[in-house]
Parts: sequence; structure tokens; C-alpha cells
Amino acid sequence: MTTTAPSPSNPAEAADNGGDAPGPLLRAWRAILTRRELLLVILLVVVLVWMTALSYGGYLTGPYDPDYLATSLVDAVPLAMLALAELLVIVSGRGGIDLSIGSIVSLTGMVFGIVHGLWGWPVAAAILLAVLVGGLLGAVNGVLIAWLGFPALITTLATYYAYRSLALVINAQKPISTPNIQSLYSLTGAVGIPVIGHDIPNVPLGVFTFLVPTVVVVWLLLQRTTYGRRLFAIGTNDVAATWSGVPVARTRLLAYVLAGVLAGVVAVYVTGQFASARPDAGTSGNGLALPAITIAVLGGVAITGGIGRVSGVLLAAVLITWLDAGILLMFEGNDGTQFQLLALGAVLVFCALLNSFTTRRYGGTR
Amino acid sequence: MADGPDGVTPRLTMHGIAKRYGAVRAIRHADIEVAPGSVHALVGENGAGKSTLIKILSGAVTSDAGTITFDGDPVQIAGTTDAIALGIATVYQEPALFAELTVSENIFLGRELRSGPRIDWAAQHAKVVELLDLLGVPARDATVPVGTLSIAEQQQVSIAKALAGDAKLLILDEPSAILTDSEIDVLFGVIRRLTESGVAVVYISHRLDELFRIADAVTVMRDGATVGTYPLAGLSVREIAELMVGGILNEDRPARTVADAPPRLELESLGLAGKFHDVDVAVRPGEIVGLYGLVGSGVAEIANTVYGIEPATSGEIRLSGKAVRPTSPRHAQRLGIALLPADRKRQGMFAFQPIAFNISIGHLGVLSKFAFWVDRAGERRVARELIERLAVRTPSERQPIGALSGGNSQKVVLARQLVERPDVLVLAEPTQGVDVGAKEEIHRIIDALAAEGTAVLVATSDLPEALRIADRLLVVRGGTTIAEFGRGASQVDVLAAAAGAGEEAAPDESGVTA
Amino acid sequence: MTATSTPPPTRGAKRARGPRVIAPLVSGQEVVLLAVIAVLWLVLGFATPAFLTAGSLRPLLIEVAPIALIGVGMTLVIVAAGIDVSVGSQMMVCGVITARLLVEAHVPLPLAALVSVLVGAVMGAVNGVLIAWGRVHAIIITFGTLNLFQFVGRQIFGSQTVNGIPATLDVFGRGEPGQTLGLPHSFLLTAVIAGAVWWYLRQTPGGRHFYAIGGDALAAELAGIRVRRRVLLAYVVTGALVGLAAIFTIAKGTTTLDQSIGAGEELAVIAAVIIGGTSIMGGRGSVLGTILGALLVQTVTSGVTQLGWPSNLSDLFVGVFVIIAVGTDLLRQRTRRVDQ
Repeated sequence: MTTTAPSPSNPAEAADNGGDAPGPLLRAWRAILTRRELLLVILLVVVLVWMTALSYGGYLTGPYDPDYLATSLVDAVPLAMLALAELLVIVSGRGGIDLSIGSIVSLTGMVFGIVHGLWGWPVAAAILLAVLVGGLLGAVNGVLIAWLGFPALITTLATYYAYRSLALVINAQKPISTPNIQSLYSLTGAVGIPVIGHDIPNVPLGVFTFLVPTVVVVWLLLQRTTYGRRLFAIGTNDVAATWSGVPVARTRLLAYVLAGVLAGVVAVYVTGQFASARPDAGTSGNGLALPAITIAVLGGVAITGGIGRVSGVLLAAVLITWLDAGILLMFEGNDGTQFQLLALGAVLVFCALLNSFTTRRYGGTR
Repeated sequence: MADGPDGVTPRLTMHGIAKRYGAVRAIRHADIEVAPGSVHALVGENGAGKSTLIKILSGAVTSDAGTITFDGDPVQIAGTTDAIALGIATVYQEPALFAELTVSENIFLGRELRSGPRIDWAAQHAKVVELLDLLGVPARDATVPVGTLSIAEQQQVSIAKALAGDAKLLILDEPSAILTDSEIDVLFGVIRRLTESGVAVVYISHRLDELFRIADAVTVMRDGATVGTYPLAGLSVREIAELMVGGILNEDRPARTVADAPPRLELESLGLAGKFHDVDVAVRPGEIVGLYGLVGSGVAEIANTVYGIEPATSGEIRLSGKAVRPTSPRHAQRLGIALLPADRKRQGMFAFQPIAFNISIGHLGVLSKFAFWVDRAGERRVARELIERLAVRTPSERQPIGALSGGNSQKVVLARQLVERPDVLVLAEPTQGVDVGAKEEIHRIIDALAAEGTAVLVATSDLPEALRIADRLLVVRGGTTIAEFGRGASQVDVLAAAAGAGEEAAPDESGVTA
Repeated sequence: MTATSTPPPTRGAKRARGPRVIAPLVSGQEVVLLAVIAVLWLVLGFATPAFLTAGSLRPLLIEVAPIALIGVGMTLVIVAAGIDVSVGSQMMVCGVITARLLVEAHVPLPLAALVSVLVGAVMGAVNGVLIAWGRVHAIIITFGTLNLFQFVGRQIFGSQTVNGIPATLDVFGRGEPGQTLGLPHSFLLTAVIAGAVWWYLRQTPGGRHFYAIGGDALAAELAGIRVRRRVLLAYVVTGALVGLAAIFTIAKGTTTLDQSIGAGEELAVIAAVIIGGTSIMGGRGSVLGTILGALLVQTVTSGVTQLGWPSNLSDLFVGVFVIIAVGTDLLRQRTRRVDQ
């Protein structure tokens, strides 16, 4: 069976690899379908070129230039961070998902607002508490799902309700925007980058203080630590994980805790961004969970678990942010936000169908 | 008798059947003739071609050559619907039923009796009660959800479902493997009642002893061909076993010498409620002990219990004389026990992850710095070493395991067990679904591991394998060890013991008392 | 056990009209739900004497009707192991279309209702086709269509509100013309439709097939069930019922319709279905349970307001009830497995 060492000996697999040397075009097509980052980069280029062309043609209500793109990243920060949180729980497998993440943002944001804005705790202590509360709320999800075997979808739907309710009740639906809180606004202001700053536009500070550290930590966690290995193991095949001695429940539980922690961090950021701790910060409109899940799926995270990369999620978040930013300029007034819904929905359905197709045709997206 | 026409038209005749899957010839030549109202047993070792023959008959696959006649008429079975239309019904080992639906609904699913738009419950119920009565199941079971029934009862429902289409030929694929003794008695009662009503039954089983209680004739298969059909009346278990293994002599293997040392692993009257009991095994360092038993004999469960999947409910496990009680695979690993799982795809492989990932998982404790930082260089080194040592054919350790052949992926899963040099290595069905070449390689690897001083326990239902690698072979039947053989035991003796030969069993030393 | 003993029990079972040939009418969980609702009503009755009066209960029934009605469709979807989180957005689309037809085109109410139901069915069909033929998990597809439908709805709204909803809608429950025997018509209509679907799920082959699909779709396919058609049907029915529920929702509101219609509806509906004992894993559930689940959710909501607590607190209780319901379902499955 194994005549030539390099080619896989499984006949089906060999046939799938197209033993008769596919042409470069075919191979490129295959790469685009199976390498999600590649597809996202191409889409990103398409969006940038298209929008810039529209901008030069005068079809946009404002300039779609590097400064605008840099400023719009302020919205990418919470989205990307929550999408990374979803990455963690979706990768953990068994239908992993966290619908409650927006509510956790609301509730921890209120806790943060109360202790820092009303009780005057130092900001460091308040942030620490917000992160702890986020982790605790995530742990409630995790205990139910990982230890007691509750289905993630319905469990986090229930906690979505519960946390959202608590966030609204805790300060009688009133936002907190005392001077303490308002001073946090500087967190999200734009800054120039030293040394090369005069060549590129100023970027919102939150990108450096929140997003970049989160991305680095999550990437290291997934790619370099034993925990990341175990997380991918339980997401790929949790029976085999048990048989190889991986502590399945503990690993999955921690994924939900980490998602809650990230939501806690986002809560602090969002509070700063709006200079106010709002009881519906993560739940107004469609909330933050839905876009976060959309971005994770768009970024190539398989809803069945075990597959997902930080780079894909990050690219997806930037793509959606810059697409949304462009759409906003295409319409007068409020119309743009509606077309953002269209874009988000269409992109999600398209990517889901694409994931399903590549899984059947090429054995999955990597 | 079965293969002599007594003026009765046979219910089924299959002649000159052949089937290949790619390069593998699953069946070279098969002939079988089943008389109406008879129970016709089909036996053979794993891979002899029984299941392929059944699949051809039930329309799951089509044969490449040969003729089939049913009640005297030549027929073509191109799909499952053809088989059902002829009245051929198959009951597979695992019942495919819907737990939340009632027995009656399951039986009629997809072909409900209607009155107007609604289901004619009364008519269905009457028919089901009739069927259940034929099977000796109380009528009140007709309306309970299938999920509340025992496995044995679910099997009866499967049979009822098969019969609801007015089956003339019923194929039972190893029905007894999942049943207890008393449940088997009930099953046999059912089969007898069916044959009285004229249904012909093809009965597949590994347990040769039970054939004498139920079957009229037996067709033996070996290496993809039918050896012949014989009336059971004049046969013994031993004779059937001889027909199954053929005249092949065991190749002479040099007996390995195992240094006399105190046992590394001891199981003493180990038991797991409902699965096995009073199992006594001792494995010395450097020794390979085989646990051989048919599917359902309890062999697999014994291996799993040693590995902590299901902790024992009685008896004791000792490691180098010290009593231990593994409660999880993690715990077992820490005690120095490794296990190669039987179901590679489900219990062993992380399909779309790289080979290195598949090897290092479960050993991240030693392949890391400060217990949380993966030592990637170390991981790569260990993976490459093991790939070379086990001769895994792959371009690199970054290849996903799912792209490998069965034999190579099995070697990777085996490699995982060797990362930390276990004191005790348990192998469950180490070469299931592996091609012949890789099988021999894996056996040599096991030999080599033992030579290095590992205590090896091999749980297998593959007889040639058991004889090939075990220094001592313990035969398990009915959930307990019943006989022990040394190197050079004959296939027939071992098979006869495992399949339930009574007094004619093992002339060697008789094993442990039950 | 022997052949001779057959006739008497069969005969006897048949004689007792309504032989126990199908599952009992009311399951254990439904009894428990009824009891919980009864206790809550009693407690609320003691706490706020106004609660157990027609003036308090009638609005409760009007409020519960849309949730229960969509829940009937959602029961089909979830029994078949699917989910539809886009119903809130569907309601927005149906609602704004109906409102504009009534207000601007002066279309008669029955025709507007028909259009609403059809539009809902079309949206359900989009979901169903994508899920059954695209082979994508229902949660992902309906998250996507949630956004798409919301876009459509807002486009039709044109970023403003629809004013001057006609009083003809009062026929669905508000005020005197909307009642029969003191019960609001929207609730009665819901009850009739629920009864029909309940009968369909219990009595017809097609209905039973939903349970088989939810139990094991692949095995159901092998048993000759046309799985994709059933799945499509579930989403289409849900969409159509959303169309009707949208009208109930407009009818219980003011003369002004704004863009918040349908917001969060999906969560309330799914909660009602799950609390009603339908298993989120599929294969088990009943329409009766869903109605009771919706009643319980609405009782809690009304109760919280009547007790003078912050109204947002009711969601906390709903969340807890959902957890309890799922826990009960899991416990039931585990004990059954141990039995074997």
C-alpha cells in the first residue's frame, strides 16, 4: 500500500489530493477555499480597493482614507476581543458557543462603573474586579456546560437572560458617568506611534492597550501552551482526549472562564469608549455576542470544534470593521447601519455555506 | 439435509458469489443454501467474509459475480429495497431504533398504517401485539418508548421490526454478543417460534457452543470462501473450530525467554458488575500476556478497567505488588499504565491534528517547561524518534494523522503510549483495521517493547494475533478467564475453548477456576 | 406469553376507548408546569389581590399569544433538532409590511394578515432551504438571516415609525369586540392552531417523523423518511406563524409601530419551548408543553411588574427556569441510561 513514502497511503486521500497534479489555477482556487486567511486577505484587498475607488469617485459622504480607517479601528477592538473569546469556547467543541458574552460585558461594566465611578476604587483594583467578575460569570456557564453536560447554546441563552437582567437591575437601569469614568475616555483616544508616527496615521490607543496584548496572549495560549494543546484536543475529539488522559471537563470549563475574563476586559474598554458604564453596553440592539460569533465563523472557526486560528479571527474582525466603515460612508444619515446588517448577515451565511462546502470537498478549512 | 435437496425448494441459494473492495478480495467464492423453516448458522473467523456475504444478501453491497435464487426463482439484489421486497430482513448487532418513539412507532416508522390522514393506531397496535406475542414480549411493551427498554428487549423490537414486513428470511448478525445467558434463552425461544412458522433464519455467531442449541446446519467460511455446509448433528465444537482455522500449522516461533521476576501487573479476582468477574492475570516485566475472547466475552472491558475507564467493582489490581485503583485514564497514566484503545478513530485519533500533536497529547507534562509552556523542540524530537522507531510512513511529523493509512495512524496512536515508557502497556485490539504488512510490523514492535522489559497485556479477539504474540494466552469466556495456554498452543484448542467447547476443551492445563 | 393468551388482553385494550396505544395526553413535565403556574397564580393572587381578576388575566393572555403561537412552530423546529433565532427579525418584517399595508394602502385586515403569513412563510423557507440543503448548522444560518431580515425590515420602515394603526385590529383582543366568553381572540386563535399542530404531531405519520428526525436524522433518512422536506416544513410553518403573531403583536400595541417590534422575541420563544419540556437535543417535546411554558414565562413577567419589582428582573427568573428545564431533561436522560 505504501509504495512511495511521501504520498499518503490512504487511497481516498490520495485521490482527494488529486494525484494527477492539479494545475496552478486549480491549486490556487483550492488554497483560497481551504486557507481561510488567504481568502480574508483577498476580500480585505477587494474591500479597500473598492471603497477607495468609490471615495476618489466622490460617491462617498466622506473620505475613505488611512486616517478614517485608523480611527474606525476603535470599533474593531471590542469586536475582535469578543470574537477571540468565542474562538476559545467554539474550539472547545461539543457545540461550544457563548451567547451570554454581551450580557457579561454589560454586567461587569456596571460592576466596574459602580466600584470605580461611585465608590471611587482605584482603577487598577476596579479593573481587577471586573476581570474577576467576568471570569466568575463565565465559570457559571462553564460549570453547567463542562461539568454537568448542559448544551452550550441553551445554557448561555439562559445566562444571557439572567446576566442582562442583573445588569439592568443593579443600578436601576441608569448608566454611570461620573468624572472618574469620564476620565477613562483617554484610553481610546488616538495616538501617534513613536519613531514612525509621522508616516502613518494615528491609531486609537485602545488598539495597543487592549487589543494587541489580548491577541498576543490568546495566540500564545493557543499555539504555545499545554492548555492550548488540550483545548484543541478536546475540541477535535473529546473521547480520544479522555482516553489520552486530558482533563476534559476542566479544560472546557476554563475556556468559558477565559471568555468571561475577556468580556470583563472588553467591559472596561467599552466603558472608556463611551465615557460611561451603560447597563446595556453589550446587549443593546443585537448585542455584541452575535457580531462576535459572526466574526469567529468568518475567521474560519469551525462550529464543530477543534479548528480555529487567531490570525483568521483578527483578519475577519478588521475586514468587517473596514467594510462597515465604508458602508457607513455610502449612505446619508442612518441608512448605512442598515446595510451593515445586510453585510454582516450575508457574509455569515456565505461563510457558513463555504465552511460546509470545503469540509465536504476538501476535508475542512485549516 | 441442508445441502441435499429433499424435494423441498430451498428458501435461498447463493452460488459462486465473489466480491472485491479495491484490491482486497473480500469473498473469493461462496456457496450457501438455506432451507425454509431452518436455522442456518454462518461461522468463520474475523475477515473470513461473513459480513460481506450478509451485506450482499441484504442489498447493502452488490456482488461482483455469482447467482442468487430465492424460493427457486433467480433474483437480483441491487439495493436494500430489493432485499426487503423479497422478504429478506436483517437485524444488525446494534439496534438502530428511536429512543423517544414507542415500540409500535418504531416498528412502523416510514410505513405507517393510516386511516385518513392519521395513523391507524389500533391497526398498528393489533399487528404489533401479534408480532410481540410471536416473540414472547408482553403486549404492554408496545406502547412504551424504546429508550426505556433493555438492550435485549430493543433487539427483540428490531426483530419484530424486521418481521413486520412479512420476512421469509431473517438474518441475525451476532445477536448473542450483547446478551446475557438468560436473554439468549429468550432469543432462542423466539427463533424457534419463527422457524415453526416457516421463516428461515441465517444466524451468525462466534459462540460455537450455542449453535448446537439452535442451528440445524452450519456453513463455515475461511479466507473469503465457504469451506462447506454441514449438519450440526454430527459435529463437535472442536470440529467446527478445525474447519474454521483450516489445516494451517502455527509457524514455529522461537519461544522468548522471560526472566523470572515478580509480576509487574497482577489482577486478582477482578470484577466489574455485569461485565466480568473473578479475573486473575499476572504479567511479569518483559512478558506478553494475551487475553483472548470473542466479542462480548468481556475482554475489552477488562482492559478498560485496568486503564481506569470504568473502575473495578471487586477484586484488586496490583502494580509491582502494590494495590492500586485507577479511576481515570489520567490516574492510570500517572501509575505507569498505558493503553492503546480498541476503537482507533473514536478513542485514539485527533484526525485533523498533526502527528506530533497526536503523539505528545497526554504527555504534555513532560514535554513542557514550567508545566504550561510546550517544549516544541522536545516534542519534535520525541515525535521524530518514535516515527522512526515505529517506521511510520510520513513525510513529516507535521502531517495530519487523518491523512495516514490505518496501519500508520495506529502506529502513531501506539507511539503516544510510548512517550513516557510505561511500566505496563495494555493493548486493546492492536491491529484492528490494519493491513497485513503493518500488522506484522506492529507485532514486532510489541515484541521489541517486551524485550526492553515492559509488561504487556494484549486484549484481542483476533486468534492468530493472540497466538502470534502472546507468551501466555488466557482465554476469556462468559466474563471470566477459563483456560490458559503457553506458546505453541494450537489454534483449534484455543478457539474451541473460547467458543465454548465443554468437556472437550483445552487438554492443556485448565485455567483459573470461575 | 403463550399464543393462547393473546386475544383477551388485545380485546380488552381495544375495548377501553382510547386504548393506550399512544403516549399519554399529558406528560409528567406538563403536570409539573401546570402545578408551578397554579402555585404562582395563587401566590400572586395573595400578594396582589388584583392579579386573579379578568382585568389582569386578560392582558396576560393577550401578551402570551404571540409567544405561544411562534412557540408552536418552534416546537416543530426544535423537536427536529434545529433552532431558529431569526423569528424576532421575521416578526419585524411581517409587522412593518402589515402595518404599512393597513395604514398606507388601506388593505382590508384579512388580506393584510394573509400577506403577513405568506411573507413569514417565505422567510421560513429561506431558512429551511439553507439549513436542509446547505447542510449548515441551524444556529449559524439563522444568526445570519436574523441580520438579513432585520435589514429588510428596517428598509421597509424607512428609518421611521408607522403611525395610525387602525382600530380594526382590536378584533384580536383589545377591548370588547376582541373577546369571546371573556377570552381574547388572539389567544383563542393560538389555542386552535396549537390544537391542530398538537394533533398533527401526535397523530399523523408526518408529525411522528419529526421526532424520528430529531432522534437521529441519518437513521430516519435510512428508514425512508424525507428528512429535508420535514425540516423545510418546520421552518416554513414557524415563519407563517410568525406572520400571524406579528399581527397579534401590533394589535396589542399602541397606534404607533416602531422598529423595536420583535426585538428579543426569539429568546422568549425559545425559553418557552424549552421550559415546556422540549429537548434542545431534539426528538422530544410537545405543543401543550410549549403553551404552558409560554404561560409560565408571561406569568413571571406580569408577576414581577405587579409586585412592583423592577420589570427587568423577570428575565433573571426566565433564565433560571430555562436552566432548571434543561437540567430536568438531562437528569431524565441520565437516569434512563442507568436503568439499562
